This record gives sequence, C-alpha cells and structure tokens, in this order.
Amino acid sequence: MTVTKKESMTTTEKVAAPTLKAARTPGTRRRQGRAKITPYLFVGPILLVFAGFYLWPALSTIASSLFTWGMLNPWELGAPSEWDYVGLSNYSSTLSSADFWNAALNSAIWLIVFPVLVLAVSFPLALLVWNARRGSGIFRSIFILPMTISLSAAGIIWSFIYNPDPNKGVLNALLRVVGLEDASFTFGPLEVHAGQWLSNPGILHLGMADVRFANLFVIIPAVWAFAGFGVITFTAGLTSVPSELLDAARVDGAKQSQLVRHVVIPSLRPSIVVVAVVSVIFALRTFDIVLVTTAGGPAKDTEVLAMLLWRQVFQYLDTPQGGLAAAIAVLMSVFMIIISLPYIRATLKEQQ
Amino acid sequence: MINLGTGQAKRRSAIALLATVALGLATTSCSPGNDAPKADGPPSGDIRVLSNWSGPEAEAFDAVVKGFSAKYPDVSVKVESVPFDQTQSVLTQQFAAGSPPDAAVALPGMVRQLSQQGLLMDVDGIWDTWVKNGEYNDSLRAIAAGSDNHTDAVYVKGNVNGLIWHTTARTKALGMSAPPATWPELTTMLDKYKASGVAPFSVGAKDVWVPTQWMDPILLNVAGEEKFNKLARGEIGWDDADVAKAVTVFSTMIRDYWPKNALDTGFSDETCGWVKGKNAFANNGAFVNGIVASCDPSLRPGTDYTFFTLPPFEGTDKPAQAVSGDLFVGAKESKNPVATRAFLEYLGSVDAQTIWAKRGGYIAPNMKVPSSVYPTANDKAAAELWPKDAASQAGYDLDDWIGGELQSKYRNALVELVRSQDAAAFIDTMKAADTRSNG
Repeated sequence: MTVTKKESMTTTEKVAAPTLKAARTPGTRRRQGRAKITPYLFVGPILLVFAGFYLWPALSTIASSLFTWGMLNPWELGAPSEWDYVGLSNYSSTLSSADFWNAALNSAIWLIVFPVLVLAVSFPLALLVWNARRGSGIFRSIFILPMTISLSAAGIIWSFIYNPDPNKGVLNALLRVVGLEDASFTFGPLEVHAGQWLSNPGILHLGMADVRFANLFVIIPAVWAFAGFGVITFTAGLTSVPSELLDAARVDGAKQSQLVRHVVIPSLRPSIVVVAVVSVIFALRTFDIVLVTTAGGPAKDTEVLAMLLWRQVFQYLDTPQGGLAAAIAVLMSVFMIIISLPYIRATLKEQQ
Repeated sequence: MINLGTGQAKRRSAIALLATVALGLATTSCSPGNDAPKADGPPSGDIRVLSNWSGPEAEAFDAVVKGFSAKYPDVSVKVESVPFDQTQSVLTQQFAAGSPPDAAVALPGMVRQLSQQGLLMDVDGIWDTWVKNGEYNDSLRAIAAGSDNHTDAVYVKGNVNGLIWHTTARTKALGMSAPPATWPELTTMLDKYKASGVAPFSVGAKDVWVPTQWMDPILLNVAGEEKFNKLARGEIGWDDADVAKAVTVFSTMIRDYWPKNALDTGFSDETCGWVKGKNAFANNGAFVNGIVASCDPSLRPGTDYTFFTLPPFEGTDKPAQAVSGDLFVGAKESKNPVATRAFLEYLGSVDAQTIWAKRGGYIAPNMKVPSSVYPTANDKAAAELWPKDAASQAGYDLDDWIGGELQSKYRNALVELVRSQDAAAFIDTMKAADTRSNG
C-alpha cells in the first residue's frame, strides 16, 4: 500500500509541475479553472441521479422507520405536524416478532442454500464448457438461456413442473412411473412426502422447531434461472487461467481432479467471490419468484423478509405498518452491506 | 464527436434548446384536455376503472361496460385489470400515490379501510333510491357500508357459497337419487365414495381463499347465523363453544374427505378434478357454473352437472346461506365524479346486472333482476338461494369481511388446519390473532 501511495504522489507531482508553470498567463488560468470544473460537470448528472433515486430514498427509509405510518397515511418530511414519532420501537417490535424471525430464517435458508447450489451447479457446467472440444459456444448459450427469462416466468414454468396432477406435472408423472405417487416416508426426525413439492414436501422435526422443505423447491427454480450467471463468470475466469501453469502441473503428473483443485480453483478465486456475493445479494432480496410460486405460503413456510416487508406496507391497511417495513428494509440493507464488503474490497483491489 | 461549433454558437444552441423544452413543458401543462369533464350536466369525459376478473368473468364485465357506454356515449371507460390477489396492493399504491382509479372493485374489508381514510365517494343517495324501490334491502346495504356512517360502495356481483358440485354421472354411480337431506346421509355417501380409495372432494387449497369457502357454510351450519355474524364483527371469540364445534367438524371433514394434495392444487385444477371424474365433489360458490366449460365444454349445466347445498348438521332446518360477492367503490378525489357516480349507479342497476346474469355463473344482487334472465338451471337454482328479504338468514364471506392483517392471519391459520387438522391449535392461533372480542 505504501509503495502505491508513493507512486501516485510522484505521478501527481509530475503532472502538476507543467501546470504550475503554465498558470502564469490569464488564458491558461481560465483553462485551468475550466479543467477543475469539467470533471464535476461530467460526474454531476450521475451524482444527481444517485442523490435523487438512491441516497434520498435510503435516507427517507431510515427516517421513516422511526415513525408510525401506512401507505394511506404515509410519513412525509414536509408535514411534521402529522408525524407519529415512535423512536426505535419499530426496530424492537420487528426484532421481537415471530413473523420477522420466521421470514429471517427463510431468508437465511436462501442465503445459504442458493449460493451453494449456484456454485455447485455453475462451476461444473463451466468446466464442462471449458473442456468441450467442440460446441462450447452452443453449450454456453444453452446454460445461459434461463437467465434471459424473468424470474416470475421461471417460477410459473416450475409451478407447472411441480403440478400435483401427474397428467400435468413432470415430476409427479415420474413419481407415478416409479410407483411413488403420494408416498410418504419417515426416517427418524425426517418426514418426506413425495409429490407435495410446494405444500408439504418434508419436515425435519428438531424438538423445539420444525424445518419445512418447501423453501428448497422455490430455490431450485431460482438456481435454474440464475446458474447461467455463474457459468458466464466462471468461463470468463477460466480463460485467464495461465496455460503454462496447467501445462507445468500436467508435466508434474497432476490428475484432472488435482488440476481443478490446485490450479483452477485458486486461479478462479475472484470469480468465485463475485458469484458467491452476487448470489447472496440476490438471495437476500428475492421476492418475485416466491410471490409467483407460493406467495410465501403455505401458511408462512416460504415467506422471506422482502415479502414480509411488502405485506406490511401494501396488505395490512388496517394496521399501518410502514414504519415496521422500513425497519426491516434498514436491517436488510445493513446486513447486505456487511455481506457485500468482501466483494467491494475485491473490486477495489482489482481496480488498484 | 459531434462538433457544436464555437463557444457563442454553443451557448445560443443551448439557450434555444432550453427555451424549446420550457415552451413544450408549459404548453403541455397548461393546455386543457380535450375530454375535460363537466362539473354538472350529463356524464362525459374519461374514467379509469380497476377490475380483477379474468376469463369469462372479465368478458362479462366488458359487456357490462359496453352497456354503460351505450347508455352514456360521451363517457369513455378505460378498464385496467389486475390479478385478484394483487387488488388490494395495487389499489393502495394508487391511492397512496394520489392517482387512484375513478372506480374500482373492492371487498367489504377494504371498503371499510379506504373509507376510514376518507378516500371514498359517498353513494348514500344512490342506495336510498334502490332501497326505496325494493331493488336492495338494508342487509345488503350494510355489507357495502364504510367506516364513516355512509354507504361507500355498490354491490356488483353476488354469489352463494357452500354448494356441493358434482356430475350427475358420478352421483348416479354412487346410487344418489336425491341430495342428502341430513348430515349422516352426506357422510354415508362420502364414505361410500372414499371406500374406492379416492378422496371424495377435489380441493384447490393452494388458492388461499378456497378453505375460507369451506369454513363459512360449516360455521353457519354448525354454529348458526347469529354466532357467525357476531364472530365476523368481533363480538365473540374463536373459543366460543359453537364456533369451536364448527372448527372441529371442519377439521374432521379435511381429515376424512380431502385429498392429500389439496395445498398443491389450485382452484382451476379443483374444478377440473371433479368435472373430469378424478374426485366426485367440490364445495364452492355459484360462480363455478361458468367455469366448468373450460374443463369439459360438452357437459350441460343442470343435466350433466349440478349442485346441492350442505344439509343441516343437526335437525332438519335449512342452514343460513353463505353469501359473498364483489363491490365497487368510487374515489372521492375522482377527476370526473359525475361520470364515476353514473358508472357506479349503472353497475348496481337492473340493466347492468341483467347483462351479466344472462351470461351465467353470476347472481345479481339487485333483487329486481328477474330469474328468467339466468341462462341455465344451475344459475336459476343458485339465484334462488340469494337472500332476497331481510328475514332470510345469511352470512357474508367472513374472510372478505374482516380484511387486512387479520384476514392474512386467518388464511394462514386455515392452511395450518388443512395440514395438521388440529382444531384446538387453530382456535388458539385465531384467539391470539383476533383480539376484537377482548374489549
């Protein structure tokens, strides 16, 4: 870091020296003044957009989380006489609400399962594409195709796949073929109900709590739609793996699995970080695919934080909960910023 | 790079551009619209209407709108359709953004919430005339009442629930010559079907409103109309002995007669399930009559498929009828109140409801709509069940009535009940959620 600072200071000095000499004439001074303003003129519009569409809504959300309000009587900065200040009670209510922790648990399942599945699916596919002697472009296109579909459409497609009627749902048709239609199994604390994909596919009884698996079957369509991003990122990363390194490893007698483990994966670390962090961010803000497949149900088995927030603002009109929703949004944002830090750091490092 | 010329030329171009934009904006904001509504006189101009029907029901509503346009040719009606489940959120967003539709479909729970915020047009005058003319009664008016001591909605579409739909071929095979007259007769018939190894009922509980359609008629049947309406209005709790008994009866029905995949099945699959013979029956509303054709267009209503009502749980008295339906509200801040009011009045009129009734799968809430307009025997029979006089015992859809957060909790609790059939747990959940009777 010190070396970089010194280098950059030296560069500035080099650039600044002729400018100072040229500042002797009035024309040069005007040019110099313009040169100082010009960058701000270029950056200004995007800063205005950022301030208007990102910064202000964020600050407004933080401020509104300290008040009681609903969509039909929203919190407004310019109407202090109508403010119903409640301090941090929206945060304490949220953090002590069973609904919040249920949604947080479901979001946590997304946060863990979704990135793991995306990595587990997209990395081998990228390796296959990379190793394909012919048609790698076609394979890449096939794997990327689901990405071109909106998540809502992906959810609807998979709702058909999960349809309980074997004449309509592919999975239940397969279960019927193998004689497992409507079959139920119990393995100790684990219950499995074949064919009830989105309603009651299985439960893990953990004494104090039951973990239901409906979430998993909402996550799978999202992985199907999102894995293409991993494939693109990894195939791009794979092209930059030094061939000399691979050749050297092969000469040393490394097997294919050893090549992947000791050469490819270490070289792909930045790509893995990108895919993992983007998947985590995607998982935390997931909403649309849950809405179209289960709408958070059955009961609240698949309700994630973004959906709880949406319900509180738009569905519970009789009990204005906009402040609670804002509190959830703030908590989610804080969490997301913390999770994104490695990605931001990696990006900054790359830029340096 | 595009060369804009010298500095002076650049400044002149910029000033000219700004002047053009400013002039354009000023012209746009100041010019009067071509369809500016008149404050009085005959209705004219544009109105925007939000509906949530799809398929045959959307086509029927379009036909009603055409009827309005024929009566008021100077009014242009733009209909926007939203998915049923999104109605409340879309309407809320539009009201909150200050750009509500002039008129919109709504359910009683939502009518009361919007009215509480003073957002709805008061239609007392229209109702006064209707009640005076005998087109509606005070019980129906109470359903459309807001929270502001005014009637804030009109009744557009009626429905009766608790109808047990079946094909005549299936019941003939079961040896049913007449509908079951008592509860034991019903369960005997269901047990007979169940012995074949298939659940008697087709149930689309993936659509969260479907279990609510079951709860209402059972509550009315077992607990009675008085307890039902007290429960709806928060005057008694869910732990009331009669209510608890009804919940237990419902949970037994789920355990004994529902398919395992009820929570994976949606309403359309429910209908096609009994129509195509996968299951024998479905318990749902009168509107099903208009949807059967989408599963099997060859079936003739009344002859090939029909319904019976749930028999009394105890004794022989006919249970109170479960009813529901859709209301329409007008926005208080409508830019065209004259046309909006005319539209609302038209929707509740005999003319408008006759158009829809002729298409089937619909019950006209307006009591002056003659039964002769209903196209099929099933529609006529269902319309007969509509409570036409104040003495008729009826209970309005509990789920639609309560609305808001409690409605959401009620639906979730019902899903849990479907899954666990644990009536006691359901009562505990609802007792904790619905605290209105606690005082």
